[in-house]
Amino acid sequence: MMDDFEKQIQQALSRKDPSPFFEARVLAAAKRDAQARRANWRMWWASAVAASLLIVTGSAWQYEKGVQERAAGEQAKARLELALKVTSVKLQKISQKVDAIQN
Amino acid sequence: MVFSIAYHFLRERAAAEEVAQDVFLQLHRRFNDFQPGPDREKHISHWLRKVASHRCIDYVRKQRTQPVSGLAVSLDDAPPPRVAGEPEDHFLNQRLETLIASLPEKPRMVTILRYQEDLMPEEIASLLDMPVRTVKSHLQRSLGMLREKIGRSMGNIR
Repeated sequence: MMDDFEKQIQQALSRKDPSPFFEARVLAAAKRDAQARRANWRMWWASAVAASLLIVTGSAWQYEKGVQERAAGEQAKARLELALKVTSVKLQKISQKVDAIQN
Repeated sequence: MVFSIAYHFLRERAAAEEVAQDVFLQLHRRFNDFQPGPDREKHISHWLRKVASHRCIDYVRKQRTQPVSGLAVSLDDAPPPRVAGEPEDHFLNQRLETLIASLPEKPRMVTILRYQEDLMPEEIASLLDMPVRTVKSHLQRSLGMLREKIGRSMGNIR
């Protein structure tokens, strides 16, 4: 139960109304807020798409570079093998000539 | 409800409207979190009171960290001048409003929620995240202080 003093406090703290344009101002602010959030969302999506494209392009470039490096490596290996083969044949011939001269 | 809590707490119309607008914007953003049902309105009211109370306290604390210009005057030191012909009740209400505004933040919010929103100590405790005992003690002390100060400036009311 409230006493008279508490009732007086209740009366002093009666509900107050905001200014007449408050509601319109809140609605306008809510509209602006929704627009800003939509714009942020669009920006987020654009950034996500750009980042994905960058990752895909980077990975493709990296893969292509790897393929080219492997092909160049294979070519170099083949050339080296050929050079070794030629050298080995020549050495064999020289060795045969030296053997012939010694005998 | 929201504006009224902010107004009685901050005693400044522009600041109260700013806080109330923030609270409504937050509600607008979170509206879908409130599940439709018979208790939806009750949940929203509870949420509004809770957010409004905390926002008001935060607002005052933030203001306190900013430099204050001009001369600081204690509200409860000097009674407001009484305008001739003004009804006694109106004058008393004004004086009480001023005295409530001079209470420390938490007891002030407890008093506003108790007497403006007509909430029970248990509900206030849940809104302000404090024990019921603390709410009751804030109420008791605030009432005592208000009674003493109003008695000093206007004569005993009871």
